[in-house]
Order: sequence, then C-alpha cells, then structure tokens
Amino acid sequence: MPVWLREHRWHQTLTAVHLSLPLRGARATAANIFCSERYLKVSIPPFLFEAILYAPIDDKSSTAKIKNGNIFFTLYKKDPAMWDSLTLENADKEILQNIRENAVLKAQERAKEETEAKKVTKQEHKKYALEATMKLEEAERKRIEDLKEKERQKVTKELELWKKQQKDAENYKSIQKEVELNQEIWQLKERKNEKMNKTRVPNEGASKTRLKPTTGCHGSSSMFSQNLKEEQIPSPRSAATIKVNFTPRVFPTALRESRVAEEEEWLHKQAEARRTITADLSELEDLKEEEKNPDWLKDKGNKMFAMGNYLAAVNAYNLAVRLNNKLPLLYLNRAACHLKLRNLHKAIADSSKALELLTPPVPDNENARVKAYVRRGTAFCQLELYTEGLQDYEAALKIDPKNKNIEKDAEKIRSLIQGTMQGS
Amino acid sequence: SSAPALERPQVVSHVQQSLSYTVFDCKWVPRSARLLCLGSAARGTGVVQLYELRAARLELLREIEKPKPIKCGTFGATSLQQRYLATGDFDGNLNIWNLEAPEIPVYSVKGHKEIINSIDGVGGLGIGEGAPEIVTGSRDGTVKVWDPRQKDTPVANMEPVQGESKRDCWTVAFGNAYNQEERVVCAGYDNGDIKLFDLKTMSLRWETNIKNGVCSVEFDRKDINMNKLVATSLEGKFHVFDMRTQHPTKGFASVSEKAQKSTIWQVRHLPQNRDIFMTSGGSGSLHLWKYEYPAQRSKKDSEGAEMGVAGSLSLLQNVTLSTQPISSLDWSPDKKGLCVCGAFDQTVRVLIVTKLNKI
Repeated sequence: MPVWLREHRWHQTLTAVHLSLPLRGARATAANIFCSERYLKVSIPPFLFEAILYAPIDDKSSTAKIKNGNIFFTLYKKDPAMWDSLTLENADKEILQNIRENAVLKAQERAKEETEAKKVTKQEHKKYALEATMKLEEAERKRIEDLKEKERQKVTKELELWKKQQKDAENYKSIQKEVELNQEIWQLKERKNEKMNKTRVPNEGASKTRLKPTTGCHGSSSMFSQNLKEEQIPSPRSAATIKVNFTPRVFPTALRESRVAEEEEWLHKQAEARRTITADLSELEDLKEEEKNPDWLKDKGNKMFAMGNYLAAVNAYNLAVRLNNKLPLLYLNRAACHLKLRNLHKAIADSSKALELLTPPVPDNENARVKAYVRRGTAFCQLELYTEGLQDYEAALKIDPKNKNIEKDAEKIRSLIQGTMQGS
Repeated sequence: SSAPALERPQVVSHVQQSLSYTVFDCKWVPRSARLLCLGSAARGTGVVQLYELRAARLELLREIEKPKPIKCGTFGATSLQQRYLATGDFDGNLNIWNLEAPEIPVYSVKGHKEIINSIDGVGGLGIGEGAPEIVTGSRDGTVKVWDPRQKDTPVANMEPVQGESKRDCWTVAFGNAYNQEERVVCAGYDNGDIKLFDLKTMSLRWETNIKNGVCSVEFDRKDINMNKLVATSLEGKFHVFDMRTQHPTKGFASVSEKAQKSTIWQVRHLPQNRDIFMTSGGSGSLHLWKYEYPAQRSKKDSEGAEMGVAGSLSLLQNVTLSTQPISSLDWSPDKKGLCVCGAFDQTVRVLIVTKLNKI
C-alpha cells in the first residue's frame, strides 16, 4: 500500500500554478515524476502523490525543481484562468481512470516521437559530417592539382622560351654565315684578279691558272670545314669476324619459355623412381644379385624382345616391375611384348600405366609418350575399337607432328571408321 | 605527405599525338625541336614522320613511306650538318637517309637475313672521336658493325659458331669510344646472354647471362671510358653493371632491381647527367632512377685481384601513361628533361621531367 503524500501547498497566478510538495526524507529524481496535460504523479516508493488537475496545463514547458527535500512545480496553464482548486474534486472514478490512462498513452506517444526526432537529427549530423570531410578532401585534391598545373605551365613557358632562343640562334647563325660567305667570295674575287694580273705577263699560263670559284655559295664554307674534319677521322677498320657461343641450358628453352616447375618435377620423379625398391624379399632370396636390379632385368627383357622371345621378355619385365613399379619404361616395353603376343587388353593396361607415370609432360619424355600412345592405339584398333585408337594416334601426332608413319596410320584408321559408318 | 613528394622530379605530359600506325621508335632530331617517329603502317609499309614541337602541339612536317616496316633508327653516326638518319627495317636492310631528299638512301645494304631489332651509332654529332660506325643486331643471331664509307660488307661481324643454334639478338649499344682506337659493342640476346665485344682487339671481352631475355642495353655515355652499363630484361628486372673494374673470373659487379611485373622495354640515360636514367615498362609506366656510387668503387678480393663494387639505386619518380607497353624512349640532347616516348597504343607523347637540376 503506497503512502499518500497529502501535505502539499499551492498558489496560482493567471498563467501558472506553483505547487510545492514536501518529500518527507525521500530522494526524488526526474524519473519519479510523471506529468501529462491533466495528470500529475510523483511516485517514490513507498510514497505516492497524484493529482488530476483542474484544467489542462502545458506539460512541455512546465518545470519541476527538486530542492531542500521539496519539489517545486511550476505548471503553465493552457488557458489563463483562475482555478477553483488544484485538483478536480468530486470526479467520477471512471473519469479519473480514463484520464490516468490517457495520460500514460500520451506519454508513451511522446516518448516515441522523441526517439524518432533524435534519430532524424542523428542522421542529419552524420550527413553533415560526411559532407564536411568530402569538402576538405576536395580542397586538398584541388590544391595538389593546382600545384601540378602551375608546374606544367611553368615548364611549357620555359620550353617555348628555349625554342625561341634556338630559333634566334639559328637565324643569327645563318646571317653570320651569309656575311662570312660574302666576305669569302669577295676575297676569292680579289685573289682571282691578282692572279689574272700576274699571269697577264706570261701569256701562255693565263688559261691554266683560272681560279675555279666553287659552285654554289653554300657549299664553300661547309666543304672547307668538312675537309678539315675528314683528315682527322680514321679510315674504316679492316673487316673481321668474332665467333659467338650461346649459353647452353639443360632444357633447350630460354627461361621465359621453359616450364621449369614441371621439368623439375619430372627430374625429381625419375630420381625417386630409381630409388624405390618394392622388394618382397622372401621370394626373391634365391635370385642372383644381378637379377635383383631392375635395369639389368629391363636390358634382359629388351634383348629377349629383339630375339623374338616375347614370353621370356614379359617374364623379365614382370620381375623388374615387382622390384620397382615406378619405372615407366618397364610398362612401356612390356606393352610392346603384349602387343606381339596379342594380349591386347594387357597391352592397353600397360600403356596406360606407362602414360600415368610419364607425367608431367616435358620435352624429355616426349619419345616415351609417343610410343605409349601408338602402342595403345594399335591395341585398340586390333580390338576394333577404332575411335579410341584414333584418339591415341592423334595424341601421339600432337606430340610429334612430323612423324609420317603415325600420320599414315591415323589416316588409315579414319578411313576405316568412315567405311564402317557408311556400311552400317 | 604531398609537400616533399612535389619536391621530387615530376613527369609532366606536354603533348600527346595519336598516330595511325604502330610506332616502334622515336628520336629527337639533334639541335632542333623536331622529332621523328618510325614504324609500320597497317598495310605493311614503313613510315617515317617528322614532327615539330610548336606551342602545345606536334605539327607534322613531313611523312615518308618506305616499302618495308621500320623497326629502329639512330642519328648516332652522322655529322651535325648532315643529320642523316640510319634505319633498320623488318627485312634486315640497313639504310641511311637524307631527310631532305628521302627518295633514295645515301647508303643501303641488306645486312641481315631477318629483322633488325636494334641499331646504334657512334662517332657522329660532334661527340667523341673516331670513325663513324653503326651497329645492328638482328633476329638472325648476328651483330654487325658498319662504316658508312664502306659499301656492302660490315667492318665487324659477331656471328654464332657454325652449327650452333642461334639466339635472337634483341639489343645493341656502343661504348668505351673515348679515343680513336677504342670501341666496344654490347649485345643482349633473348636467352639472357649479354656479350661485350672489343672492336680494337676484335675479340669477346666479357659475357654473362641474366636468365631472362635482354630487351635493352645502354652505356651511360658512349664516348667515355666505359663507366656503367644498364641491361633491362623480361619480368621486370634490370641490372646496372659497374664497368670500370673487370675481375678475371667474376666479370663486372652489378646491382639489380625488380621494378615492375612486366617487361622493361627500354632504358635511356639522361644526356645531361649520366647517373639518371629512365626505364619504360610493358605496363605503360615510366620509372626515373638515380644511381649512387658506393664509397669505394673497387676492392681487392681474397687473391688480391681487383673487383668492382656496385652502388645503389633509388627511384625518383614513376608514372603510368598508357595501358600498352611503352616501347621507345628518347631524351632530347638539347633541352634537359625533355623526352619523347612511343607506345603500342599508337600514341607518341612528349614529356617534360622537372626539377632535374636539383638532383
């Protein structure tokens, strides 16, 4: 149950009501006061004071001062008129209730409006700040542009000045040249006259000693200076050849063309393959030392193949593969054997395995790859799978486009395919 | 901050001219405000255009068409009065033209079997001493030196050994021409080889390999005791060699820099300051560099032989002008900081680099 605060004092003027409320020791803050147009409430638990005002007031401009344990309210009346009393006496409970509710609603609405207004002002402030920074940056940019522009103009002016100087210098030079030339011509004429005077005495010599004035005035001065210069220039040097060697590379491509990464990978793989020994020691104990070497076995296999003993070759390769299953050449050669033995599916399997191991594709393993494709292609064709066979032949051609045999065979297969298509 | 940045040299774009052909080389005409553009027209013929720099424009003075596309040109071997242009074309022909009467060349020889990639001249323009000579490097793997006074045969021929596979020569440069007898030719090849040929002794003086194809080589000055050599290559790397001290086995000391991700097409030293040079790149950018010498340029190694010490490089400025490679670059010998560059976007640009006096 709240404790009602009833000891309040009030006085009024035409426009305002002054109300003072003692607080009996309780401390009040703005949060405890609730005021709307017709309703005033102060709630400081457990104390409670409420007043339903006689007439509406302007709650926005009204104030409350908390001082010395009292609250002093200054309520500005909406209508300047003297009130009979502070509160509405003899009011109906319902009316009172309504007024209370309205007050609360109004307060809520007002709170909403206030937050909205705050938001709007915040937005505007942000916008303003943004515009201000933009302006500053623009100014900065403009300043730099202006400086640059000034530089440009200064430099252009200098250039023009320099050009003018050049022109003036040239004109001056040409005028000078003319003057000099005139002088020279005059001198030549003088000399000619002298000589002619001299030779008039012995009559025969006259014709021979005709001074030839050089043709074309402009040629004379430059020719003189040119002659002087030519004496100083050495004669062309005697021809010789210097032979040149170019830096070799492991892979014959310049760095920009090489695929260094892939080539490294290939070399690495080869090295690894050499080192792998998938040994199954128990069975191999009774083998001779040399028979445990995959390379030796490969050579043996090659020899058997050459002799026509394909089964023996296959055996040799099998053993080699058991020792080291990472050497592509073993599979490649075994595929050739299987082809001869007409074990076509095995030939295809081995060629495929060889191709797998022959990655990454580099110029170094070109030959091996061509052979693998050709062998697999042949096997496919013999199984009458011509399209697959043609694919492999074309792959081989891509690597080695200059090989005539492969080209011929590819053509044959193509015509075969077309033949069967037409026939069916 | 921007203030110190504006103290550095700025590359100001002065004029830009759009061309209707692919420009491969651009050169200033000495003692003038005129420049030449050499290239290949769409119909497969060669083009030479002469422009003059007037106000803020390039005015076309003359256009000459030749049967074969032209790849490179130089004024290096001609006198100041004559100012004849030597060109190399796509067919391997070396021609020297009098631009006043360009119908018939003053000198012509089918020097190579394939395109002449690069040309350089020495002994002309009143610079240095000795006979005027022109060197050409070609895709046929040979480097040949010509004297305009000797017809048909070169005065020096650097060719691959019989039976050896050849590599394209991409760039050539003269150097060390400080008196009448001394001269060297430096050649860069597409496999990264750089070879230095001594013309006085007619021998190979030094060679090295920088792994990536060499796009451009240039000595900082042709007419002095060889001082520095810059070699640029693919993949954005270039090397600066200190050529004053040659070690018997290690050769010349060098410092290298990786500037851009793309090919560095050209290097050109500023004629007025041999320690500043500009590199042009495949991404359409230009970088301006300064070389700083070390405290001591040479030192003794463990066996007492002299070896060079390379200095350091600092980037003064860089600017991106185009989206296509800038394939040719030339500084004006008459005005410090004025340069022209030609790019594969069929545009030639005249630039001014400011504040070079303050370096």
